[in-house]
Amino acid sequence: MTRIRFHSYFALILALAMFSTVAFAADLRVPATVAAGSGLSVPTSGSGSATLYLVGPGTAVKRQVQLGQDVQLSSDELQNAGHYTVAIGDDSASFYVTAGPVSSIAFLARPSRVPAATPNVISGTAFIFDKYQNLVLQPQPIKFDLTVNDQTTSRTEASKGGVAYAKLDSSKKEGPAQFVASSGNASVRRVVQQVASDPCSIRMTAQPNKSGILVRTDSIHDCAGNPVPDGTIVTFTATDAQGKSTVDARIKQGIAQAQLPASGGATISVASGVVVGNEIQWRGGQ
Amino acid sequence: MKTVLRLSIACLIVTGLVAFLPKQLVFADPEPSISLNVQNAGPRAVEDTTERSVARDYAAAWKAMEQALDQNRSDLLGPNFTGTANDKLTASILQQRKSGLHQRIVDKGHNVEAVFYSPEGSAMELHDTAQVQLQLMDGGNVIHSEDATLHYVVLLTAAENSWKVRVLEAVPAF
Repeated sequence: MTRIRFHSYFALILALAMFSTVAFAADLRVPATVAAGSGLSVPTSGSGSATLYLVGPGTAVKRQVQLGQDVQLSSDELQNAGHYTVAIGDDSASFYVTAGPVSSIAFLARPSRVPAATPNVISGTAFIFDKYQNLVLQPQPIKFDLTVNDQTTSRTEASKGGVAYAKLDSSKKEGPAQFVASSGNASVRRVVQQVASDPCSIRMTAQPNKSGILVRTDSIHDCAGNPVPDGTIVTFTATDAQGKSTVDARIKQGIAQAQLPASGGATISVASGVVVGNEIQWRGGQ
Repeated sequence: MKTVLRLSIACLIVTGLVAFLPKQLVFADPEPSISLNVQNAGPRAVEDTTERSVARDYAAAWKAMEQALDQNRSDLLGPNFTGTANDKLTASILQQRKSGLHQRIVDKGHNVEAVFYSPEGSAMELHDTAQVQLQLMDGGNVIHSEDATLHYVVLLTAAENSWKVRVLEAVPAF
């Protein structure tokens, strides 16, 4: 009985001794996380020299260190966020470097050209980084400002996983809009060109000339009063007994005009995109 | 006699090639296993074709990274990495080469969730839970080896006809 108990104690002590040896041999004492760009002091035991290995994102270090002293990992060696492994002799440990405060923003603003007075048409996506270009994963307030003709629309969103986004309406007036994303001292500006939307209405007149019928629109605006940009296509159509004649013309200096073939009697219509203008019953110039 | 000899040599070469080719196929590194879930991505829904492209390109990126870190060849990163991810991996490889180190990653699979897909469709953020065995090698000696479950925050950007990894950051937890 005593012999069995002695063997049990011996086995237990031996197991504990083995476990403690393994535990102490495998672990260096390091914190679980370290802020990017901070140095780290790693205590060591024993005497003599050993080789230190440090690997992490952007880092692969091998150097001799003195055991029994604290080993310094420099701020340069711990700039990049991610998983690091440090090994000294037979001991090793893993830890994480985490991003610091926001220092820069990558800002995607789309599209670069939008129609005025359109809801949710401008999108901005901001990615936030620290000074070492690590994605800042802690939630941060990101402010989105859209300014056109001294009128500003603002929205603040909390970042999640290093990213925040906003969708904004375009303003009623055309012009270059300054779209700014900012967080702390970091800020990025993009320009979104706001242009007139579809024409609100199209009105044309027709008059005879020596080549046939000259059709011409009044100045074309969108529903907010912005002139529709030059180059926009306007289609004139004349339908008579011989069939249909269609002419595409571009808006130039705010109006569009075209020459239609002479006709004794025709119905003339005008359209641009989905917007249809007035119709003229042409009776040989009367 | 010479003709017979030449024919015999030719036969040997052809037999050798035939025997060798299948081995090349067998020994080629397989793509890492990627299980991608896009159900919770937003604000834009991930299109079917995009889902397939992301899974394909992200697997290719890991394969390229594993080979690049093992062989210390930064030229393998180019097609799959860009921006800071490319810069940091290139810096790692440069330092490994100087120190005579290399890393071997035994890839045991990735559970990936798309958590953000930008409204205009040019950027995507993934959360990747990767099962890996990490080996730090000094020449031919294994200095450190550990089986680990690592969590990565990944930022992908759309390139001309593929997705490239712009950010690859391991984090303690999501």
